[in-house]
Amino acid sequence: MEILQNLQLGFSIALSPWTLMLAVAGCFIGTIVGALPGLGPSNGVAIMIPLTFSLSLDATSSLVLLTSIYYGAMYGGRISSILLNIPGDEPAMMTTLDGYPMAKAGRAADALVISGVASFVGALIATIGLAILAPALSRIAFEFGPGEYFALYLLAFCTLGGVASNNQAKAAFASCLGIAIAMVGLDPNSGTPRLTGGNLHLYDGIDFLVAIVGLFAVSEVFFFIESKGKSGATNVKVGKVRVPWRDIFEVRWVMLRSSILGFICGVLPGAGASLGSFMTYITEKGIAGEKGCFGTGVPKGVAAPEAGNNAAAGGALVPMLTLGVPGSGTTAVLLAVLVTLNVTPGPMLFVEEKEVVWGLIASLLIANFVLLAMNVPMVKVFVKILEVPPAALMPTVTMISMVGIFSLTGSYFDLILVVAFGVLGYVLRKMDIPTVPVILGILLGGKMEKSLRDAMVLSDGSAWGLIYTRPSDPTDLSMIASSLLVAAVLGFIAPMFLRRILRKPQRVAD
Amino acid sequence: MKYFNMKALSVSVALSVGATSAMAAECIAPANPGGGWDFTCRQIGKILFDIGQVDSPVQVTNMAGGGGGLAFSHVVNERQTDDGLIVAASQATATRLAQDAYGGATADQVRFVGAIGADPGVIVVAADSPFMTLNDMVNAIIADPSSVAFAGGSSAGGFDHLKVLMIMQEAGFTDITDIKYIGVDGGADAVTQTVGDFTQGMTGDMSEVVGFIESGDVRVLAVLAEERVPGFEDIPTAVEQGIDVVAVNWRGLYVPKDISDETFDMWAARLQAVADSDEWKSAMIENGLAPFTKVGDNFQSWVDGVIASTEELSREIGVIQ
Amino acid sequence: MRVSDRIFGAIVILGSFIYVMAARGISKPFFADPLGPQAFPIGVGIVAAICGLVMVFSPDEEPNWPEMRSFLSILGSTILLITYAYVLKPMGFLVPTAIASAVISYQITPAPIRAVIYGLIISFGLFVLFKFALGLSLFAFPRDFFG
Repeated sequence: MEILQNLQLGFSIALSPWTLMLAVAGCFIGTIVGALPGLGPSNGVAIMIPLTFSLSLDATSSLVLLTSIYYGAMYGGRISSILLNIPGDEPAMMTTLDGYPMAKAGRAADALVISGVASFVGALIATIGLAILAPALSRIAFEFGPGEYFALYLLAFCTLGGVASNNQAKAAFASCLGIAIAMVGLDPNSGTPRLTGGNLHLYDGIDFLVAIVGLFAVSEVFFFIESKGKSGATNVKVGKVRVPWRDIFEVRWVMLRSSILGFICGVLPGAGASLGSFMTYITEKGIAGEKGCFGTGVPKGVAAPEAGNNAAAGGALVPMLTLGVPGSGTTAVLLAVLVTLNVTPGPMLFVEEKEVVWGLIASLLIANFVLLAMNVPMVKVFVKILEVPPAALMPTVTMISMVGIFSLTGSYFDLILVVAFGVLGYVLRKMDIPTVPVILGILLGGKMEKSLRDAMVLSDGSAWGLIYTRPSDPTDLSMIASSLLVAAVLGFIAPMFLRRILRKPQRVAD
Repeated sequence: MKYFNMKALSVSVALSVGATSAMAAECIAPANPGGGWDFTCRQIGKILFDIGQVDSPVQVTNMAGGGGGLAFSHVVNERQTDDGLIVAASQATATRLAQDAYGGATADQVRFVGAIGADPGVIVVAADSPFMTLNDMVNAIIADPSSVAFAGGSSAGGFDHLKVLMIMQEAGFTDITDIKYIGVDGGADAVTQTVGDFTQGMTGDMSEVVGFIESGDVRVLAVLAEERVPGFEDIPTAVEQGIDVVAVNWRGLYVPKDISDETFDMWAARLQAVADSDEWKSAMIENGLAPFTKVGDNFQSWVDGVIASTEELSREIGVIQ
Repeated sequence: MRVSDRIFGAIVILGSFIYVMAARGISKPFFADPLGPQAFPIGVGIVAAICGLVMVFSPDEEPNWPEMRSFLSILGSTILLITYAYVLKPMGFLVPTAIASAVISYQITPAPIRAVIYGLIISFGLFVLFKFALGLSLFAFPRDFFG
């Protein structure tokens, strides 16, 4: 019953006219940003962060706005996946496999509606799961000491690479790069400046917002310059939008199964959303068998990854809110938002910031309904977005990114850093090195080091302190720390073998 | 949070021009809205106006940066004769001055007017801890320093860390660098680590642990105030237990150095009036502060003493050279 | 050929080496925890170097590097954006933004007249959006423009 009380608290915040307006605006902006070819949820939210901060909203309002944008972008992302065969981000990739063939076969409108409904079901189930699971998980806070946190961070880095890249060495390098960048600045324990080269601009470290905007948004612009915007043209027409009731009825169990599976994948720290859409598609393909004709444009092939993808996005919020470890690229961006708003995610969030958490959960529920209403009848409005020529779109994205950062910092040095991260992001993506672990490294590297050093303080410098985490009882092996460490090693090694079996489909963008 | 700070700075510079000409009093909170310094300015400013000590509402300016260092150097360099300026200060100001964290600035570059409330330091253990008194804990550390680790909300060398070191020094323990301390993200996290038995003691402020006392998760071994705190009369002070340590996070004000003695006395009288007001007393109870009133010249000498002893202790453990 | 990964791996190893050297140079305070401020950065550098070694000895397929002209376009945009960073404050918002937008637009679709129009619209539109809808303090022109 506590959940109902908490939800009531949440709705009392989320249903205020102001918050409701922010949620609707966020959903609308998010869908547009997600639908823009080449811009996915991560870059979309990245561009919007500096702008949101310059509005000087309070923590709850900012969070509601940005998560609505996030959810909206997840919905919008399917539009460019289906119509253009361009997924906005990694998780949306699986939707192209059946969505684009359906669109080419003249069923673009049906595909959009089915995926919209599937997104709704997935996100709804995930939000309910979040409301139930997150508070329960937050009680394990008292079981997490420095050693356990270190193991958890390690797990996040080790598993993220397995899904985000085709090459473990490259994924691991990406994490190292991010962590290495996080080391720049004043040492939190001793106050010694580290790796700053004496540059005063670097004493406070490198802000992750600068890195996010550079790696995600500016590097995208470089890709468009390289391709001369050729990827933007659409030749698929959307006919009259009608609700294909029969198809929706037919895929009801697919949506339900995929939502639950997707949610579970999302809860795993690190792997998250990409794994969700991947696993659900593979599973449903297996269940349907040869007769299912997956890959030729069947409704089930659209419903499964969309439900899984959106459910995983909701599931990824669980480890992010309870333990401060994000499960996907976009949740990493949202974590950055929380930290900047001085809201410390982690075990205490559910105790200390009830309004923020439950306001967020309630507004996610509301956002889902708003998005369903927006995306099914109004889908043609968003399809129009695809007609914006890249020659107008990309300069706008660049300028919003630059001015957004400038409005926060007022510093030309940070603008130069944005450009530098843009170039870095371009090179990394060319080399097939994932950029999400870099962000995660910048975000969590400092905490990872701190937890390791604290664990060493408690164990007097003995490495056994990583698994025997309670100094008062040196024989008490921490089950949490040791199983997380084992999972981290397995999560890093397993993809090297699995990749040969589960060959990933060709990556279309990014 | 450096970005917001720069914005705040430009705002404050614009405001300061207006403030001097309008003769309205201004209170600088050297941090973003929401924290302790902001609270000090807003409450004192409001009460000064409500009880008729000033004619127009006190203008509050947030000037975050360098842990208060930005505001300190602003006052020293640009506002040294401003009669209408007060600045929020606390134990953190004193600790940072003692540890030379304000880029060479020293305490004698401003005048400390007074403190009118304090958040007393506490030493806390988990409810199921074997330590029943502060001396149980002290004796366990003396017997084996590695058997007890502390968690606190300040970084290593900060005030929460120093509280433990002061206690151990007072108890005659000399190898104070052997005492294990981890600095975590705020008092609540420190309590979580202690309740989870990763650390055996938590060092922090009273206001940080009130919720956990009520929920029954923790036991307070000692409060580091001169007297027991109203509302928590069953918690003994360290002094009562034979360890003469008082460490309170006081809340008060400083003013520019080159104002006249008359102006200084005027501010001291105003602050005393706030301290005596019922409005302040209820504000203190709402915010978990204990009475702690030291105003005027004797506060200045008290602060000097605190800074000198903090500096000596910091030098001993190597936080400063 | 698979030369890109080998070269990149070598750069990673060199970078890691420099990073580890820099980390070793971090001054160690007298007052330190058992691990100190150097160990973790050094460890990260070593792991990165191992990743670089793997890239050298087990390279992936060659990525599609852009042809010379695209490469020069990207280089040009980089220089343009860095210049933009330096002139945004002294020159005001409108003029640098219009020029930068127009150039980037031209580089994506080489239609000069449309690029200029886009540049003007983006610059003016964003100024109105930022200044009046979002309330950012931007200056349209150089501050001493009006004396």
